[in-house]
Amino acid sequence: MKKQQSIRPPRWIFRFLTFFCKEEFLEEISGDLEEIYHVHFQAHGKRRASWRYAWNVLRFFKWSNIKKTTRFNSNILTMTRNNFKIAARVLWRQKVNTLLNVTGISIGIACFLLISLYVKQEVSFDKFHDKGDRIYRTWTLEDYGGDQQFFYTNSPLPLEKVLEDNIPDIEMAVQYNRNNFLVGEEGARINEPVAVASPEFFEMFSFPIVNGNSKSPLADRTSIVISEAYATKYFGSKNPIGQPLSLLIQGKNRAFTVSAIMKDLPKNTGFSFDMMISNANDELLYEKRALQAWFHVSPETFVLVKENSTLKAVEEKLPAMIKTVLGDRMEEGEYTLGLQPLTDIHLNPEFPVGNMPVGNPKYVYVLGAIGLLVLLIACINYTTLSMGQSMRRAKEVGVRKVVGAQKSGLVWQYLSESVLITFIAMLIGLAVAYLLLPIFNNLANTNLVMPFDFESLWVYLVMALGIGLATGAYPALVLSNLKLTNVLRGGSSSIGGKNVLRKSLLVFQLLLTVFLISSTLIMKKQLNYIQNEDLGFNREAMVSVVLYPDSGGQGLGDNFTSGFKNGQLLKTKLETNPDVSDVAMGSHIFGSDGWMQLGFNDNNDAFKQFNLLVVDPYYISSFDIQMKEGRDFDPALDLDKRESIILNQAAVDYFGLTDPIGKKLPGDKFGTNTIIGVTEDFNFESLHSAVRPLVITQNDQNIFSGINDISISDSPTPKLVFKYNGTSLLEVKSILDQAWASTFPNEELRFDFVDEKLRLMYQDEARVNKIVGIATVLSILIASIGLLGLTILIVNTKVKEIGIRKILGASPVKIFAMLFSDFSWQLIIAIVLSVPLTWYLMSNWLKDFAYQINIGVDMFLLSGVLAFGLTTLVISYHAIRAAKSNPVKALRTE
Amino acid sequence: MKGTYLGEFEELVLLTVGALYPEAYGVGIMDEIAKETGRSVNISAIHSALRRLDEKGFVKSEMGGSTNERGGRRKRIFELTAFGKKALDEVQEQRMSLYNRIPNISFSS
Repeated sequence: MKKQQSIRPPRWIFRFLTFFCKEEFLEEISGDLEEIYHVHFQAHGKRRASWRYAWNVLRFFKWSNIKKTTRFNSNILTMTRNNFKIAARVLWRQKVNTLLNVTGISIGIACFLLISLYVKQEVSFDKFHDKGDRIYRTWTLEDYGGDQQFFYTNSPLPLEKVLEDNIPDIEMAVQYNRNNFLVGEEGARINEPVAVASPEFFEMFSFPIVNGNSKSPLADRTSIVISEAYATKYFGSKNPIGQPLSLLIQGKNRAFTVSAIMKDLPKNTGFSFDMMISNANDELLYEKRALQAWFHVSPETFVLVKENSTLKAVEEKLPAMIKTVLGDRMEEGEYTLGLQPLTDIHLNPEFPVGNMPVGNPKYVYVLGAIGLLVLLIACINYTTLSMGQSMRRAKEVGVRKVVGAQKSGLVWQYLSESVLITFIAMLIGLAVAYLLLPIFNNLANTNLVMPFDFESLWVYLVMALGIGLATGAYPALVLSNLKLTNVLRGGSSSIGGKNVLRKSLLVFQLLLTVFLISSTLIMKKQLNYIQNEDLGFNREAMVSVVLYPDSGGQGLGDNFTSGFKNGQLLKTKLETNPDVSDVAMGSHIFGSDGWMQLGFNDNNDAFKQFNLLVVDPYYISSFDIQMKEGRDFDPALDLDKRESIILNQAAVDYFGLTDPIGKKLPGDKFGTNTIIGVTEDFNFESLHSAVRPLVITQNDQNIFSGINDISISDSPTPKLVFKYNGTSLLEVKSILDQAWASTFPNEELRFDFVDEKLRLMYQDEARVNKIVGIATVLSILIASIGLLGLTILIVNTKVKEIGIRKILGASPVKIFAMLFSDFSWQLIIAIVLSVPLTWYLMSNWLKDFAYQINIGVDMFLLSGVLAFGLTTLVISYHAIRAAKSNPVKALRTE
Repeated sequence: MKGTYLGEFEELVLLTVGALYPEAYGVGIMDEIAKETGRSVNISAIHSALRRLDEKGFVKSEMGGSTNERGGRRKRIFELTAFGKKALDEVQEQRMSLYNRIPNISFSS
């Protein structure tokens, strides 16, 4: 006996067996298992036997063996099951109604899901870094009083080391920059953006390395990290680790070795690179002076604050640090360094844009609100419909109450119905959203993926439950509150009073729909306006080509001269083609913001800023820019090449020049210059901003000598433009390919259509418009479904009334009018109420544009007519059928 | 009423119950099947099959005496019913009648 006791199976597993196993089977099962345990024990030892025992117990864990305890068999559970059973039966019986409800809510849910995916991506930018809550980006504010304020998020090159050396609270500082290099061997070079960052980059940010040196991937100057996508692009199926890759840096071929492969960057990060090299290469990129300069800014600097320190502690030490570094070169308060949280960058437009893109938070909120609105419309739909339905259900409630149903029981029963409906709708909505996602991505130009992880499943579940309870709450209360005697006596009058609420809900729903319709129309109109607005230059069929300046050149000036010289070669080739005309070159081409901006102190020592455009003599005529006074550059005149400049009207006004022809720029350090012409204002930047002062010159040196500030965000690499007069746009590529290959066989050809680039400037707005458009269509659909449901309901309840009216001589038209008038009043109220709402919100939106349309009455009329048309369409089928029906049928029974 | 169809595994278990009379119980049946056919079967599968056979009325059972190996627990001893025996006979008969119709020529060579 003793020996037997010593070999007993593990207690806790046995306890589990007794926990779940039915009493009647327990003895034989546990007996058999123990017998097997003994055999195994003797054959294989304790461990194996125990494992085997556990496995066998698990195998017995099946439905037929599990006890059906009374513990779970409570009243609540039974009633809930009963409620759902009845709900399912009711829903099945009223198929049309259920179909309308489910469709409405699932469309609402699908729309909400899609939009929330977009919103989620926008707000989750760079929130995934492990140390993200301790990472900050530096910003600098230089303030010299007056207009001379410079605010930027780029930073000087020496800042990284200075921060690390001077501030003990900082664990590490990392600089990140993006440059374009020609990558690859001679003859097959591709112009690629390459990130240049501190070696600790991958320590600070959570971008996983999947292959190669994951400890210190940028340890050497010659290390290069590439993404998985680029590993395939450059090396195919070969193992890329250790492979050579050469970059053309400042005219010299530099050999790099692939040290690591990183996972492709996620969609929701502001960083954007497929290749990264160490910033030890800064020595090759910049002159010695720039490496130490405090007023030459380029990379973004990120700092990681130590775990036991705070942002405040770091910020307090910054002024002292600035003082030690800059010494007396700066007055107190002229140079301020600050920190911005990493997670704040993407949606905070108050900080200037560095290398990371900044989204418009307004759009994110607007879209989020619209997603909620559509869902709200769908919910209201359900509520109004089921409140209408409650008239039919009144008798059922009465009988239930007579039999003894309590109020809370009834509430739960009706809530079960709505919960069941939303669960079905949730499933359908998820499927619809999943199927529509590619179309949505395509339309809205996004890259969203639908998550199906555990967490989001919970969210979906809770959402369905929440919507179910919210939509069902009111109808459930109304129904359970019905007076027993009223109901059973036969009149449904007791519900009459509640109609006010039902009607106002319908009005509210229509109001939202009409609001969405008008907003879409207004946004569309504004976008059309800015895209077709006469910008003051010709953009049709203009093609721009990026030129390559000689790589050995120094500074911006050489960049232009050598670029234009190279362009001349291309130009002669292109001009032989009869379809090409108006060839010109310039430092900037329309379709990208951030043209070179220069600052100088004028004769009165006031700080002035203007944009500079360096061109060849054909630029203005090629783009057909109108001259207001004076003349255009003359290609034959050498004088024009040296000292002539042309201003736009905005510059003339800004500099306060009267009678400007023959005058000079109001600064004494500029080289000899003469204003020979003034152009009409043309919109060289996006229509978000008004036209700014612009100086056009052929001789950049003359201007550069007189300035004391420069900032550039659009690439100042010279570009060539020409007008294509042929018909096939595909032809353009072959013309260019030919001319290019014989001129610059080693460089990559990059060209754009100017009107396409201009269109892309408004892609944020266009995207919002598309998403709102989709939401509008869906909300119209939901509203139509709701109206259809209500019409069916009303027609059904008024069958007798219609019958009697017809017998007394009412014409079908009158009957139709009677049915229609009810809705039309609500619709009119909704339209009227929507006007101020739309007006207010849309004027706010339009404030973002310097050039805006008037929100005309026509917009509201149009959306009103549209809403009316739709309502009529939806109502008419059932209304007409009711109006034409034979009254005998309606009155025969009862 | 469940069908009286006899599945392949059920038939095997039923046969074993008959063969082991009067000592047929869970582990015993499992061991016997392993011995006779070389099939390693989980004990839970045997229990399920026995329960199904019980429902169909092919076997009956009662609790037997306790043994030390089982920690003092009793065995449930299974026994073929007349109905079960008849079902086995039928299956056997069908088999044989089909088997006997296999022409000899096909394998003579």
